[in-house]
This record gives sequence, structure tokens and C-alpha cells, in this order.
Amino acid sequence: MIAPIVTRCRLSRSVGKVKEGALLKFNMVRLAVAAGLCSVMSAPSIAQERSAVRQGFALPAKSHKKILLFRPSVSVGAQSTGGMFEPNAEWTEQAKTNIQSALDRLQARLGNEVTLAPEGYGDDARALQEHMALFAAVSQSVIQYQFFAGNRLPTKKWDNKAAVFDWSLGDSVAALPGAKDADYGLFIYNKDAYGSTGRKMLQLFAAMGGISVTSGVHQGYAGLIDLKTGDLLWLNADFQIGGDVREKDGSDKRVRQLLEDFPGSDIGKAETP
Amino acid sequence: VTSRLARLALMLALQFGSQAGAEPLPDVPPYAGVYQPQGVDEIGLWHEYDESERALAASTLVINDEKLNSYVKRVMCDVIGEERCKSVRIYIMREPTTNANMSANGTMRVFSGLLLRMHNESELASVLGHEFGHFERRHGLERFKAARSGTDILSWSAVLVGVAATYGTYGVYRNSYSNHRNLQLTIYGDLYRYQRNQEREADSLGIAYLNHSRLKPQSASLFWQNIMAEAEASARARGLKKPEFNKIAFLASHPPDGERAAYLSALASPDGAARDDGAARYRAALAAWMPTFLEDQIKLNDFGGSAPLCPWRALPGARQSARSGQCSGFLRHGDRSRCRDGRCRDGRCLSRPRARAREDRSAVRRAEGAAHLSRSEAGRL
Repeated sequence: MIAPIVTRCRLSRSVGKVKEGALLKFNMVRLAVAAGLCSVMSAPSIAQERSAVRQGFALPAKSHKKILLFRPSVSVGAQSTGGMFEPNAEWTEQAKTNIQSALDRLQARLGNEVTLAPEGYGDDARALQEHMALFAAVSQSVIQYQFFAGNRLPTKKWDNKAAVFDWSLGDSVAALPGAKDADYGLFIYNKDAYGSTGRKMLQLFAAMGGISVTSGVHQGYAGLIDLKTGDLLWLNADFQIGGDVREKDGSDKRVRQLLEDFPGSDIGKAETP
Repeated sequence: VTSRLARLALMLALQFGSQAGAEPLPDVPPYAGVYQPQGVDEIGLWHEYDESERALAASTLVINDEKLNSYVKRVMCDVIGEERCKSVRIYIMREPTTNANMSANGTMRVFSGLLLRMHNESELASVLGHEFGHFERRHGLERFKAARSGTDILSWSAVLVGVAATYGTYGVYRNSYSNHRNLQLTIYGDLYRYQRNQEREADSLGIAYLNHSRLKPQSASLFWQNIMAEAEASARARGLKKPEFNKIAFLASHPPDGERAAYLSALASPDGAARDDGAARYRAALAAWMPTFLEDQIKLNDFGGSAPLCPWRALPGARQSARSGQCSGFLRHGDRSRCRDGRCRDGRCLSRPRARAREDRSAVRRAEGAAHLSRSEAGRL
């Protein structure tokens, strides 16, 4: 169940200032309701874009390295009034095709050659599956514990100050199918839940009462790993990413935003939504 | 255990005997063939589950032994029929918990912990039939829809309370907030009750398939009675109080074990009692895997719960340690180092000297969980 982002979870910020008992209680209840809304619909509270490059890593423009693209994870659906994810097969299939063709168009501007990772069978497929899951876990850790302040692990606090970006999947990536003939591996993740009519009405009504309910979840992240060492070289995470992946133009914009800080590319910053 | 089972059986007979007479046994509904998903929600759910099945198929937890897979599949096809069987893909997972599940698209997961606990083909068939019942009745989709409606209502209610906080007086606000809390309890309570009723429905379908098969339907209830006996032994070895098998917790996803054992026994066709339960076939098919599954179970450090599982699942020569209640001596060929007294032949431990065995036996009697073992060994096997 993917939850929406409620941006105003600080409904009763003034609680501390209020002296009267009744009013304080009133505010406490407001706080409790707000907290309830936030917990029912919680998500990374400060959703902002972040990206990082491993120290010492530079990919000069037009260096013609080979990049292996692992099967992108794409899931598109709607967001119910209550915030549940409602998967939509048609949208997901459209988005997959659109994102793939946007990648094809943009790859020249990455300055490198992007090829789709070959399908594995038997042990190869199992190894690939394990590494996909490992990448998901590692990148989630980066996003949770290093990118977004407030959630940082004590050990990563210093890393952030010193701009240290040190994460790895381990050198077993070198044995993945297709890894021998490539230099880097690229992972792409997209999850979109478009606000349903009910959700939008809830949002509108709530806004009248001074409560902010967000409609729609649009998360994307992309990561680059070194296929010899397994080191995470670059990660870009955006939890309010733009571009409607159900449309061709929207997918172009999505892929541009995902890859805008890609080392050595001249894609540059896409215009903000 | 035998006396406890007898007591339970008596209780069940008293509780459900009259009902069983009045209520007809559940029948196998007509089946419209391999169904396809319909509507945006169902197609969307299938699509998501297809994607996760893709990952599942490449999981290292999946046991790819062709013999074992085809045996389990055959047991399922025998009990639910060839036509229904076409919709299902079974994945046997190496995971020592007693569970199996079914996704909306026909992906069935069977955990090795379940296979370890089964005594015969009929018990296995009862669980496989239950899981297929979820698929046949589209329970995944229905639950998704129920959860969506429930959370829709709750989010409106939460927003209304927020609006009341902005515009209303404190009194209005307090009332609406307490109403909201009550509504929350009602809706969550309803969702869990709904899920428990789906489980009951799947149980009733499962037993209907079994009644119509060549297997013994009485085993379905026995399986749950064994699960309760195990939970009791586990609690006793940990010094916990006896588990309650008939209470329904607010957030319980399934009916309580006691209730399931009771109605499954009442719904089992009496004509089936004389049928073969397929114990010999089950043992033969699982023989190669039982020591592995047992080893996984023992790593859970659940001494009381593991003890009843020791006897035939381990290779001949297996013993149970008096002190810890653990099994030992379930060896693979050539694994001599596991024999504590070093007396091995063909990869199996030979019996220890008599004096030590006697010492062990008295210690076994002292250990409560293990005392349970000796009786269940006699009673069950």
C-alpha cells in the first residue's frame, strides 16, 4: 500500500504556546487527528530530490563506456481516495514502452552506449534477481539514511558533512550475465500513482478546512554501479518527480529528470514541472 | 496428547454434532474453466502479481527439485481436478514456517515448514484445496476492494474531523473526533472479520474438494489438531501459559485454530473415513527432503515445538538430545562428523551404548516437551 504525502503534518504547531486547559486539549486532539492522517498516509515527510556521486568518480563526456541497463522497474496505477495504490496494467505497459523509447532517444546524449542486460536463465537468473533486490535495498538505505536529513544514521551524519558517498553491492556483480562486456550497470525505478477523482475531491474539500492532502505519488530513482567492484557510483532519487509516464512527451521528461545529473552527460537540468 | 485429542474430539462433537446433522456438507461448485482477469482492478492486480512471480521464480528460496514439485502438483490436481489445476503454478519455498499462500493470479507458495508437519497426502491436499479456494472465489480481489472502500470512508471521516477542528466549536469537534475513532474501530474490525470469513469460505471449499476426492477428508481437522498440540508443546517448553485456541483477536486474519479443527471435522464426509490417507506415498515422496526441512526447523530454537516433529522425519538413527530437546543424528550420506559417539555406518548413527541410552531416557522424561514426544510418537505414528 503506497501512501500519499501529507505535507502539512504540523497542523497544531502552536500547541506549546496555548495556556488554557480546554484549548490545549482541543489542540491536542487536532494534533492527534493530524497525526492520524499523517500516519495513515505517511511517506518521507521531506520529499526532495537528491543525488550524489561517489568521491573520485568522474565519467568524462563522450568517454564511450558501455552501460548495461537492468530491466527497469515500472509500476503505474491510481491512488484511491484513502491513499491505496490501485495498479493499472494498461498504464504500466504504456509507461514501460514509453520509458524504453525515451531512453533510446536520450542515450546518445548520455555520451555512452546503453544496452539492455541480457535475460538470464537458471543460476544466472537467480544471481540477477538477488542483485536487483540488493540494489533496491542499498538504494533505499541511501535514500532513507543518507539523503534525507532527520532520518540519518549516526554513521552517515559525518559522511554527509564530509560529502562521503560510500556504498557498494560487492564485487559479485562482475559475474552477472552481460557484465563482462560492460563497464557500468544502470538501474531505474519508477512508481506512479495518479490521484483518482475521489482523491482529488478529498484534497479540494480538505483544503477548504485548511488541511493539506496530497494527490498522487510519483517516485523515481536511478543508480549507476561499477560492474567490476560493485560500488555505487551515482544515485539520483526524486520523490516528487515530474513527467506523465503514460504519455510519450511525459516519459521523455521523466527520463530526463531521472538522468539529469548523470555523470558525463549533457542532458542538463530539465525544466521543473 | 491422545487424551487431549480425545477431549477435543468430544468437545467438537458436542459443539458441532447437532449442526453437522442439520447442515448439508459443502459441495464443489461448478467450475467455468481457466478464468481470465476482468476489469481494471483485477487486470491490474494480476499484472502486479505477474511481476512479483517473475522475481519469485528466480528466488534462491524456491526449491527446484523436479520430483518434489511434480508430486505436490499431482496431489493438488488429484484433489481439485485437472481443469482447476491448470490455473495454478506452485512454488515450494525453503522456509521453516507452517504456511502456504495464494496470489490473485494463481501463484501458490508452499513453505517447507508446512511439508515438514504434514503426516500424509490428505493433510497436504486439504491445505492445497484451501488455497485454491481463495483463487476460485477471487478473494484477493474482493479483499482489495473491501480495503479500498474502508479506507475511502475513513479518509473522508478524518478530513471532516479536521474541518470541524477549523470551523466548529470544541464540543462539535470533540464529538466528531470520538465518532471518527469509533468508525475506525468499526471499519478495521469489519475488514478483519471479512478476511476471516474468506478463510472460512476457503476452508469449506477445501473440505468439499477433499470429500469428493479419493483421499480421507478427516485429515483436514487432524492437521489443525496437530498444529495446536505443537503450539502447546512449544509454549510449555518456554514456560508460557497454554495458548488459547478459540478466542478471536481483533486483528486476527484467520479463524482460531480450534474453530477450524472443529468445523473441518464436522464438514468431513463420514463416507471418507475409510479411505486411504496416503501416508506411505507422502513419506516416500518427502523422504529425501525431510532431514533438510527438519534441520531448518531445529535452527529456530523452538525446542518444545520441534520435538514432536523428530521421529520419522529424520533418518533412522535420529535421536533427541535430552538436555535441549533437539534432534540429532539426521545425517546425509558421508556426514560422519555429526555422530557424537563416532559410530557410523552408511552415513547413519548407530545406537549408543545402553547405559547412556538409559540415562537419556530418564532425562527425556524430565523434560516436559520431550515427554510429549514419546506419547505423540506412539499415538500418531
